[in-house]
Amino acid sequence: MAKLWIFVTLVSLLPFLGSSFSSENPTDRRILVLLDDFAIKSSHSIFFKSLQTRGFELDFKLADDPKLSLQRYGQYLYDGLILFSPTIERFGGSVDLAAVLDFVDSGHDLIVAADASASDLIRDIATECGVEFDEDPAAMVIDHTSYAVSKTEGDHTLIASDGFIQSDVILGSKIIEVPVLFQGVGHTLNPTNNLVLKVLAASPSAYSVNPKSKLSTPPSLTGSAISLVSVVQARNNARILISGSLALFSNQLFRSGVEKAGSSTKFEKSGNEQFVTELSKWVFHERGHLKAVNVRHNKVGETGEPAIYRINDDLEYSVEIYEWSGTSWVPYIADDVQVQFYMMSPYVLKTLSTDQKGRYFTSFKVPDVYGVFQFKVEYQRLGYTSLSLSKQIPVRPFKHNEYERFITTAFPYYGSSFSMMAGFFIFTITYLYNK
Amino acid sequence: MARNLGFLVLFLSLSLCEAAIFRPITDSHRSAALEIFAPVDRSYISLEETYEALRTFQVLGIKKAADINKETCSIVVEKLGPSSSSPKDLFYALRVNSILKCNINVDNFEVITSKLQAVVKDANSLIDLYYSIGSLALIKDEDAGSNVHLGDADGIFHSIKALSQSDGRWRYSSSGAESSTFAAGLALEALAGVVLLASSEVDQSMIGTVKNDIMKLFDSLERYNDGAFYFDEKLEHQGPLSATASVVRGVTAFAAVTSGSLNLPGDKIVGLANFFLGIGVPGTAKDLFDQIDSLACLENNRFFIPLIFSLPASVHSLTTRDRLKVKVNTVLGSNSPPLTVKLVKAFSSGSKETPIVENKELKFDPESSIHSLDILPKTVDVGKYIFVFEVVLHDPEHKKIYATEGQYQVPMFFTGVIKINSAEIVVLDSDLGSIETKQKLDLSGETDVSLSANHLQKLRLSFLLTTPLGHVFKPHQVVLKLRHETKVEHIFVVGNSGKQFEIVLDFLSLVEKFYYLSGRYDIQLTVGDAAMENSFLKALGHVELDLPEPPEKATRPPPQRVDPCSRYGSKQEITHIFRAPEKHPPKELAFTFLGLTVLPFIGFLIGLLCLRVNLKNFPTSAVSSTFAVLFHVGITSVLLLYLLFWLKLDLFTTLKALGFLGAFLLFVGHRTLSHLASASAKLKSS
Repeated sequence: MAKLWIFVTLVSLLPFLGSSFSSENPTDRRILVLLDDFAIKSSHSIFFKSLQTRGFELDFKLADDPKLSLQRYGQYLYDGLILFSPTIERFGGSVDLAAVLDFVDSGHDLIVAADASASDLIRDIATECGVEFDEDPAAMVIDHTSYAVSKTEGDHTLIASDGFIQSDVILGSKIIEVPVLFQGVGHTLNPTNNLVLKVLAASPSAYSVNPKSKLSTPPSLTGSAISLVSVVQARNNARILISGSLALFSNQLFRSGVEKAGSSTKFEKSGNEQFVTELSKWVFHERGHLKAVNVRHNKVGETGEPAIYRINDDLEYSVEIYEWSGTSWVPYIADDVQVQFYMMSPYVLKTLSTDQKGRYFTSFKVPDVYGVFQFKVEYQRLGYTSLSLSKQIPVRPFKHNEYERFITTAFPYYGSSFSMMAGFFIFTITYLYNK
Repeated sequence: MARNLGFLVLFLSLSLCEAAIFRPITDSHRSAALEIFAPVDRSYISLEETYEALRTFQVLGIKKAADINKETCSIVVEKLGPSSSSPKDLFYALRVNSILKCNINVDNFEVITSKLQAVVKDANSLIDLYYSIGSLALIKDEDAGSNVHLGDADGIFHSIKALSQSDGRWRYSSSGAESSTFAAGLALEALAGVVLLASSEVDQSMIGTVKNDIMKLFDSLERYNDGAFYFDEKLEHQGPLSATASVVRGVTAFAAVTSGSLNLPGDKIVGLANFFLGIGVPGTAKDLFDQIDSLACLENNRFFIPLIFSLPASVHSLTTRDRLKVKVNTVLGSNSPPLTVKLVKAFSSGSKETPIVENKELKFDPESSIHSLDILPKTVDVGKYIFVFEVVLHDPEHKKIYATEGQYQVPMFFTGVIKINSAEIVVLDSDLGSIETKQKLDLSGETDVSLSANHLQKLRLSFLLTTPLGHVFKPHQVVLKLRHETKVEHIFVVGNSGKQFEIVLDFLSLVEKFYYLSGRYDIQLTVGDAAMENSFLKALGHVELDLPEPPEKATRPPPQRVDPCSRYGSKQEITHIFRAPEKHPPKELAFTFLGLTVLPFIGFLIGLLCLRVNLKNFPTSAVSSTFAVLFHVGITSVLLLYLLFWLKLDLFTTLKALGFLGAFLLFVGHRTLSHLASASAKLKSS
């Protein structure tokens, strides 16, 4: 009976084990979507549909659902969290600020969309991620020079922004040509936090104030210091997307045309869909997730990995790096992977050559300093998960018989001692037998 | 909790009190419908989806290719054939048929009818009743000749009504406890079907109570801030859209079959229409169908037909003198009954008391069905205005058919080009106020001033902004920015004193704020407003500031954010510098000295020859001569061992060999030397 029970439990767990996030399959699978209102599910359905067609299982819940929980029995039920609930003051169930942060701290991904009059809870979550929204709850980003021309919206809060971050891995290799429509609240990045990146920046003429009040004191956020959309990649490779606008993800802005003020080109469809889709691919690890395998090193001309190197040995080092494409691991191609031969500080730092099939290799001479060294690959690139490989290897000095034996300079010494020996030999004979 | 639709927040930004503008269905819905309802492999997944697609196309007036219809028809015929299908399948097959008019076998209807009637009798769940009654009603519709009716209409009406709750919502079955708004819509549709199919008149008092239920249901309507009404659904799997759509369908169906008015409030009907239109273009098939189908119900019903007031544009440019246009349509975009749109009043958003226009009628152009205001009053200047419109129906009878919102408050923006005059930047001496340097600025063109000042001086920037009508214009954003070389920025709002915009920067009081940072400051001026067509951000040039040295406790400038991209990227390569090999004298020198070391040996040999050495003392006896030879062979081998030691052997092998050789040498040496000693002793004694 007990066996049957265990079997039933295991079988019921199988679908969870099969579909969840793992290092072999790093794309998120199960995503919890917290909404203020179920109407957002239909008003933002294109975004949700694009996630679903990419294989994500979305679980829509009201943010104040009393049965809300992120984990059960110490296991997380989801791999990603989407907070489309800008006005929520308190989550229902067992979820709170600490639970959301723990969720991220354990390597899971998060999308937060705020809006004008975002709640303190949403602001607190953003602050913990290194992003500070404008403190004035009624503030919105206004831009009088790069707004989206509209027949119906006259207050220039609908911004057509094209201040994208220059990164293929975050925004996809296809350049976003159409400006992105944004309407919401701006934020700044904490200057001391270097994990957070501005993905969509406001133009230099933008400012963040309450559009209905008069401007008497200088606005706290101005110019391109205002970030509209930011991303964070934590040290544990958890990824976070923070947007100051929920409307950015909406069907309405996905479909609406754009004409940026001052430019004569009118686009049929805004860049929002491409921008949001590509960004969500990055956030949910469909792109930019690297893994390194087959780290090898050996002496030139040998194949086995030695336990120790001697100073001045020539060695070869190689590593294979692959990138997750959403469905499979593909070779990662770059020309800036570097290896360090490191003891307290790098003695050798060399860029690896690549065969364009994911293998990176190089060879160099072991320095003439002995001690315990490390092969280190610290690969940190914008948008990619960081690779940090290290392999310890001792380096010994020459053995006594490995030094040079016939030093020309010493020949006079040898010559004199051998001639003395020969003299001694002759001398013994003559001395003993002379009469 | 105040729930806001995310997309409605857009509208809220305009103003909380002003009603938002909703637009009737447009071509964007049509193209979206074609995209969303694109069949997979020339067919849809289920008949339900097929119906939703066909119904949406029908409402939107889209003609679809016939080949899909053919395939769909074959499925419909199969479902309505002799093989038994579930009531749900029958229902949707009949619904699809009602649109496509397939050639179906009417003979089979009798069997289906009797089966469905049996289902109706036994059914106790609302869903079963809904499908079977719906199917029967459709059969009656399809085949006018058939005699489809419900014998015990009152009883069935009762059994459906029994599931209703006191708040107007319905339960799905008698055993289920949860009441649902979505179910209320289904129940009302089913009840409408019962009334339609009843062989005798249904009890009017029963219909009265249902009407009462509808009223209660409408009391539970929830309202968004922008004037949209919707039914909220407490059960999780249904959203407000499907619940509201279901109720609208149900109420429309019920109103169609019953006589007398439902007494529904007109503003709530308009609110419901606003809700469906406010969604915009939904992204999923189900939502689109719900939206379009309910709008079609609202377009043609027996209670109130909502009229949607919309403005093609609320931003007008004074430079092009656009005409103010207003449209009044039904929800699906068809023309309204004859009516007049009146501009009740219009006032600047700043001053409500002084309207610029009052009571003006808009001119109607029947061709384009647009109401337009011909001449804007001369007093309209750039800025934000609130316009209040009113819709008046010509025919008083129409007031019972059509519902309008009454008054519409609409924010309007009038934009224009602002003139910038007499802009100048001046460096003043602090004490006397005398002008040190003065430069004129051309803010419409390129400017590049270069000024220098110290902390005892002041900087004054002034300019004039005038509207096309010559009034002083006060933009929302007039900001001066000074940026130091180290990227520390200082922002000042430029105030206006009466006519002129002016800012005076007294550097003495700003020294601390500037963190005592001397050097080049770039000056940037931003002037922008929603009503200003020539908003600009301009680099004016720079000022070289000479500020005093910072005192000990001066605050440091805040850390500036470093460009994250600089953190990434490859590092510079490091190659190890190896210890240089020891310096050796040239080879030739070593070989010369090697040659020189042989010279003493040669000299020694020559000396021996000169001394005429001989070997006469060599032992003669066989034994002792053997030992002597062995002794010298031994010495030779030791010396050779030394040579080998140099050439290849290591210390241990050498010592081992030397041990053996030494013992051997000791022995033979002892014998040889003792022999020689005894020989010389003999010689001495003799």
